[in-house]
Amino acid sequence: MDDKADVWQGTLALMVLRTLETIGPQHGYGLARRIEQTSGDKLQLNYGTLYPALLKLEQEGFIGSKWGMSENNRRAKFYELTKAGKKRLQKATAEWEQTTAILARFLAPAEEA
Amino acid sequence: MHKLRGIWIRLLGSLRRRNSEQDLSDELETHLALDTEAGVRAGLTPEEARRQALLRLGGAEQVRQALRERRTFPWLESLAQDARYGLRTLGRSPGFTITAVLTLALGIGDCTAIFSLVNAVLLRSLPYGDPRGLVYLFTPNPNIPIPKEVIAPSYADFYDLKQQSRSYSDMTAFDQAVFRMASAQGATGPVEKVNAAKVDEGFFATLRCAPEFGRAIGADDNQPGHDKVAVIGHALWQSRFGGSLDVLERQLVLDGVSYRIIGVMPPEFVFPASSDLPYGNSAVKSTEIWVPLALTAKQKAEREPTSNNVIARLRDGVSVAQAQTEMSAIMQRLDTLHSAEMRDWGAYVKSFMDNAVGPVRGLMGMLLGAVGLVLLIACGNAANLLLARAAGRVRELGMRVALGAGRGRIVRQLMTESLLIGAAAGAIGVALAWLFLRLLPRLDPGNIPWLNEASLDWRVLLFALGVSLQTSLLTGILPSLAVSRMSLTGFLANGGAASFGGRQSRIQSALVVAESALVVVLLACAGLLIRSYINVEHVDTGFSQSTVTLKIEMDPRYERPHPGRDVVFKGLIDRIKALPAVNAVGAVNDLPLNNSESVGFIWVDGYANRKDQMAEGRSVTPGYFEAMRIPLIAGRTFTDADTSRKASWTTIVNERFAKVYFAGRNPIGGRVSTDEQHAEWSTIVGVVADVRHSSLEAEPEPQMYNPNYDFNSASVAVRTSLPAAAIAAEIRTALAPADPNLMISGVHTMGDLASEASARRRFQTSLLTVFAAIALLLALVGLYGLMAYSVGRRTREVGIRMALGAQRTDVVLMVMRNAAWLLGLGLTAGLGCAWLAMRAMQSFVFGVGAHDPATIVSVCALLAVCGSVAALIPARRAASIDPMQALRMD
Repeated sequence: MDDKADVWQGTLALMVLRTLETIGPQHGYGLARRIEQTSGDKLQLNYGTLYPALLKLEQEGFIGSKWGMSENNRRAKFYELTKAGKKRLQKATAEWEQTTAILARFLAPAEEA
Repeated sequence: MHKLRGIWIRLLGSLRRRNSEQDLSDELETHLALDTEAGVRAGLTPEEARRQALLRLGGAEQVRQALRERRTFPWLESLAQDARYGLRTLGRSPGFTITAVLTLALGIGDCTAIFSLVNAVLLRSLPYGDPRGLVYLFTPNPNIPIPKEVIAPSYADFYDLKQQSRSYSDMTAFDQAVFRMASAQGATGPVEKVNAAKVDEGFFATLRCAPEFGRAIGADDNQPGHDKVAVIGHALWQSRFGGSLDVLERQLVLDGVSYRIIGVMPPEFVFPASSDLPYGNSAVKSTEIWVPLALTAKQKAEREPTSNNVIARLRDGVSVAQAQTEMSAIMQRLDTLHSAEMRDWGAYVKSFMDNAVGPVRGLMGMLLGAVGLVLLIACGNAANLLLARAAGRVRELGMRVALGAGRGRIVRQLMTESLLIGAAAGAIGVALAWLFLRLLPRLDPGNIPWLNEASLDWRVLLFALGVSLQTSLLTGILPSLAVSRMSLTGFLANGGAASFGGRQSRIQSALVVAESALVVVLLACAGLLIRSYINVEHVDTGFSQSTVTLKIEMDPRYERPHPGRDVVFKGLIDRIKALPAVNAVGAVNDLPLNNSESVGFIWVDGYANRKDQMAEGRSVTPGYFEAMRIPLIAGRTFTDADTSRKASWTTIVNERFAKVYFAGRNPIGGRVSTDEQHAEWSTIVGVVADVRHSSLEAEPEPQMYNPNYDFNSASVAVRTSLPAAAIAAEIRTALAPADPNLMISGVHTMGDLASEASARRRFQTSLLTVFAAIALLLALVGLYGLMAYSVGRRTREVGIRMALGAQRTDVVLMVMRNAAWLLGLGLTAGLGCAWLAMRAMQSFVFGVGAHDPATIVSVCALLAVCGSVAALIPARRAASIDPMQALRMD
């Protein structure tokens, strides 16, 4: 893992949803690659991180999956955002923004009150 | 929401496991392949690209395991595994399994059956809106010493109450009536008796019930002159009009008057039915016709109470107590409007539910208590069986612990087995309850409201499920604890022959002691009821059980003065008397034990009279006492001369009357007056034996009989050697020439009436006796099981003793002594509990002291005898142990 950051619990779900919203249906490998790229290669996703997150999202109904052919003609399972997933993404985004905004206030250099 | 969905999908996942495993492998394979291709594109050799991808992606097997756990519920799978294993082990010892399941099934079945009764009687909703809001209003009067629920507000009081009360949203006055309904064939067919209610415009609204079609009785219908309309019940609509839709606007002739049908009530509405009114006409099992009450202005202003009833619906949030306070205040004001001779009219608000089920709440509580005890005994037995079995499986369970099974896993295994037993027992128990409900119509005493509607509805099934679960937990917990305390080192040190030690056998003994104690309680209570029932059966009713009675309704057209209803009726009696099969015949207005009683104030000549002394009064024809075989104690019975209008008034009193009012005097020739002014006096010409009129169990009150032939409707009593149906047919034929339309009904013997009067007692006694018997059987099985088990376990010890010279009788005694100890302890503890339980049974006993020594002695003897038999079998087996064989074991 050397300099690659661990993915925070819970944030990976948001990344997956957001990525699926941006690029549309995608298979596991594609998703992993895309998330790694977007993070500026700061993140690295192995099996054990990615697939449990995908299964959980699917069980909760936020993403759906079906088998299809990849760009280089391999049978692959494609994930896509469901309606509930879109809603979830909006809500989670808003929450995340609020959380980071609050944290930013705490972590900002102290100002005189 | 999404959580739930996740759980659902995981449940599905448990079922579709193989498929998704394959899917995942394919998916991971693709991922690896794509990653490798990317590596190759970046210039690596395929081998190197694959190696790096594998390194980066981590182990596929770990992720498979992680996903498997996410995809399904691992505990569910181990549960299924436990269940499969449990089923296999239970199947391997069918004797144990069947005993445990049947034991618990008896307990659960009893509970479910009784709960279905309680559900029907106390819990299920009625077709009257929310019945908890319904109240009856009464105006008891301390000057009239009769039950508080007899007198309802007079019509004048009713209208004033309705106007001045704020507690009620609706209020209605109604009266019961029995009509003679002309047959569908017109005037030529036989007349039918039909139960009706005369109701005001508030009736259907108060009871929150509307006709299934047509309309209800409204204010306009209650105007005199517009009141010849009728709402009929569903049953009558079906039987009389074949359910035809043009029934509205058709006519019904009731008591010679034509009524137009305006509505049909739904099938469940039969108010007032027998148990609905506190002192209603008990012969009315259900009401089939409702007609307007249509009071005249004069009737509405009448302050004297009549036979009407008043029922009201409380406003939301108003309590019975609040309504009572308000009504008391109003009645205090209204009292001054009553005539000065009879004042002090009080107020009594009684909840409908209290009235309907109040009297049977105690009975239901007693039955529930009894089956609860049976269930506890069954649980104790099953727990003992499981404990014994767990002890037998020490080797297997110890081996599993030694191989690394966690304590939790072992406990879960045992709990799963007891759950399986509980589930099977629950299913059989529900089947037993179903059988019981099939038998119920034969047991139904007929006076427990809604009892015949008991069924296995969702509430009962839910109850059965709950009881089964509880039972499984109760029976499973002890063996589980015992096993989880098992010491592994002990097990290993003893070369696999470890046991749970003394603790477990102490638990088993304690269970048997507790069971016998509970059995003593049940047996004592059942004993009290049986003794009471025998006492009731031996009560001297005062009349002959074999007398046949039938009811004759006198047509209203006989009310014309000539030749006079009394003359017509005497003609009928004479025709019956002329039949060769009839030895004696007489008639009475109200038969004993038919729940109708007329009581009146009396004034006795030469006695220190009080204002409120009352006697039961009956009109009888000469010949009644002979027909009923009521013994004459002194004087004479009536003759036809006594019934003549010109004759001076005569009366016959019962022994109790003579004892109370003529103590130390000769009652014959004494005078009694029943009118307020004491103007008319009747002379006592005879004294007859006491007759149980109101109930078999109540001491007879002072009774008076007056000679009469003038009846509106009368019960005819016939002494004959023919069976009831045969004599009734002869009488019908004999009376047909006099009046072909004569209404003859209710043919039965006096014995039938007496049997009906003791039906409730028979019901509770037989149920409690059956439960006590089941409990006894279970406890004996428990005792036997424990003795057999301990003999089995002590085979070696017994062998050594015998090898050292113990005689076979010594061995038998050893086992019997052990059993006697357990039974003795149980008996002692049980008698203590029974002492308390018997006091609680006070309201159910008749003619027996609450702590009847005979009952207690019989219970002890029964338990001792049965217990000895149960212990003797294992004792003999112990005595037959061959010492050589026993010592060679292990």
